[in-house]
Amino acid sequence: MAHDWQRDFEQLVDEHQSMVFSLALRMTGDRGLAEEIAQDVFMELDRNMGRIESPLHALYWLRRVAMSRSADALRRRKVRGMDLWVEMEEGHGAFVEQRSSPLSSRLEQLLATLPEPQRAALVLRYQEDLTPEEIAATLEAPLATVKSHLQRGLKLLRAKAATNLKEFVRVKEQARGF
Amino acid sequence: MDSEPIDDVEREQFERELKLAFERRPAPPSLKRKVMEHRGRQRTERLRIRTVIWQRLAACLLLAGLLGGGFEWRQREEQRRGEAARQQVLSALRITTHALNQVRAQLAEHDRDRQE
Repeated sequence: MAHDWQRDFEQLVDEHQSMVFSLALRMTGDRGLAEEIAQDVFMELDRNMGRIESPLHALYWLRRVAMSRSADALRRRKVRGMDLWVEMEEGHGAFVEQRSSPLSSRLEQLLATLPEPQRAALVLRYQEDLTPEEIAATLEAPLATVKSHLQRGLKLLRAKAATNLKEFVRVKEQARGF
Repeated sequence: MDSEPIDDVEREQFERELKLAFERRPAPPSLKRKVMEHRGRQRTERLRIRTVIWQRLAACLLLAGLLGGGFEWRQREEQRRGEAARQQVLSALRITTHALNQVRAQLAEHDRDRQE
């Protein structure tokens, strides 16, 4: 029985490490912190393996706990007085350098500048492809609030993208000698 | 920061861009190893704590058994001594009764001799 659980746990880590890490990374913008959060989330999963009823339950559970731990980490940083956004802007070089598309990288950077609830809703919507109802269940928030965060977040992100990306394209074009 | 009004096509295009930008990132290769190592350490620690708890529990039970046994032995020893003392008193009473009976018989014989 114990061996079965161990095999299941390893399998769950294999299957979901990318999802948990990506959620934590996009919420905190810090690779080291995201890795710590992912470790904590999987350790908590290990302690709660007895309550996990199915692979789908594990997926929802991991999403919920990853978001909750990321929010806790952000709150702890705020309490400690660290300026996360400056840190994210500075640290984003390492975070985005592997990206193939510069547009994607810029969008990720812009995401980091959104307020936390809007960022959480957008990450779950576009990274995890969740419906507003599923996002509301994951974040344990009212559906109307989630819809509002999605709308406002999307609008804000688009507005920022319109300003920043025009500038970005102009700088690139200048660099190419246009 | 207000955005210009956008149509559905533009919105869909932007959402497609977002989905591409927000694809899941591969986790660092060390993550799984760290998780499994941490888990192994936690399990060892939990096992150690469980062993210590069982050892302490066993020691408590042994101590309780020894105390209970000692108390029981003391009770039985006191009972045994009480019984021995009772037997001694009964023996002494039997001897005394026998001696008194003898004395009474001798006195009765002596009285009969004097009357004759």
